[in-house]
Amino acid sequence: MTAFARQTRALIARWYSIPLLIVVWQLAVGSGLVESRLLPSPERVFTALVTEVGNGTLVYHAGVTISRALTGFVLAALVGIPFAAAMARSTLIRNLFEPIFFIGYPIPKIALFPVFTYIFGIGTPSKIAFTVLECLYPIVVTCYFGFRGVQTRLIWSAQNCGANNVTILRRVILPAALPSIFSGLRIALPVAIIVVVITEMIGDSIGLGYYITIWSTRFTFANVYAAIIVIGICGLVLDQALLLLRRRAVYWQREAA
Amino acid sequence: MRIDRTVVQNWLLPVAALVAWEVLGRAGLAPRYLSTPSAILAALWEITLTGELFTALAASLYRVAAGFALGTAAGIIVGLGAGVLPGVRHFFDPLVSFLYSIPKIAFLPVFLLLFGLGHASKIAIIAFSGFFPVFIASRHAVLSVNRILIWAAQNMGTPPRTVFFRVIVPAAAPQLFSGIRIGLAHAFVVLFAAELIGSKVGLGTIISYGEEWVRFDLMFAGIVCFAVLGFLSDRILLAIRTRMLKGQMIGTEEQVMR
Repeated sequence: MTAFARQTRALIARWYSIPLLIVVWQLAVGSGLVESRLLPSPERVFTALVTEVGNGTLVYHAGVTISRALTGFVLAALVGIPFAAAMARSTLIRNLFEPIFFIGYPIPKIALFPVFTYIFGIGTPSKIAFTVLECLYPIVVTCYFGFRGVQTRLIWSAQNCGANNVTILRRVILPAALPSIFSGLRIALPVAIIVVVITEMIGDSIGLGYYITIWSTRFTFANVYAAIIVIGICGLVLDQALLLLRRRAVYWQREAA
Repeated sequence: MRIDRTVVQNWLLPVAALVAWEVLGRAGLAPRYLSTPSAILAALWEITLTGELFTALAASLYRVAAGFALGTAAGIIVGLGAGVLPGVRHFFDPLVSFLYSIPKIAFLPVFLLLFGLGHASKIAIIAFSGFFPVFIASRHAVLSVNRILIWAAQNMGTPPRTVFFRVIVPAAAPQLFSGIRIGLAHAFVVLFAAELIGSKVGLGTIISYGEEWVRFDLMFAGIVCFAVLGFLSDRILLAIRTRMLKGQMIGTEEQVMR
């Protein structure tokens, strides 16, 4: 077997399930086995996707959702990472905030969203504020363990070489904690997207969550699936972007599979 | 009696926040929608007496337990299968890597239409969203089992079935539990959204009822119950994990986190 044929076979073995399911889906709908209003054929979903992306509607709503998610995510990272470092270094701050983060971690914070709508209104601010809260937890908890896990002897050797505190923070502690920081960010990023979509479904007039709700009440499920595909692609792209950033920042260590 | 300084510092912020909430609320300085802790307790007592709390709690608990159990079971079985058999792995990997990045709650309208407004649609969506983290954790766990352990067992003439149950599964168990824990957290998020968007009973319904009828104490009572339910479920899962993984989790994050 030639190398090309081998590669093609490997590629098919690796990816055949998605085209296979699309074909099964198309056949099931085409033969009338499945109610086509509930599950529109892949062809119709694709048409809806092309139309709605072409006329800019989906692009607009996706832009709203992604900008909200990213704003909340970045704010949570900017607050959470220094905070985790402070918690790892100071006993007082650790004692004050440890219960809030570790007891609060498993509490489903989504239940607080109605309160957020009262404080920040129904629009973008409440969604961003809530995303910050939801992302803060995984970021602070993961980064905290990262900062605590920095080996003391690394710090000692730096001090021994006469490095001052700022240099130690920048050149020793931060690089050592960077892998944990990135795993915290990678947990928080999909959380941000999920939270924004859910809160948009609960109540809003823009965003992909709203788009899904409104088209499902009109029983136009082709558009609903088109929006779901757009969310999937956005999530995939953002995750890959974060991985790229990680590879550049943590160039000395490969990520775990 | 000497009071430990750490304990004081641990309790300082939560207690201060509660006291400030109560005082400001009574003085009329906090917005009305924030209610007060004492009013929330009174509302909790009220719905306990009328029995509303138990109806809602039973409905929510049933949904989350059934959905979580189904999703976790499916995730473990398919995930272990994908870890052991390349055929299963190649079939599910592309699907999961695409679906994983989608908030599963986006399928809620479809599930509501398919399964109606009752329990079934919530159970189905919770199971659906719980499947993915468990699947991914089990698949990775099996693949990262130390080959030497498997070789050693095979070398002693262990049949494949025994290798699977006595070597692979125990070695994969710690990672599996992390996946299950993420699945549990997802389950509560999805439960809340599903109950708020389309449901007639449940804790989410108490919260939205409180909002609609401007009974903010009732809204917070629902929120408190929801939070406690989520917290307790997580603790129960951790307790089960500790029992099942005796001696396997020394120095892991969960142990440090108590």
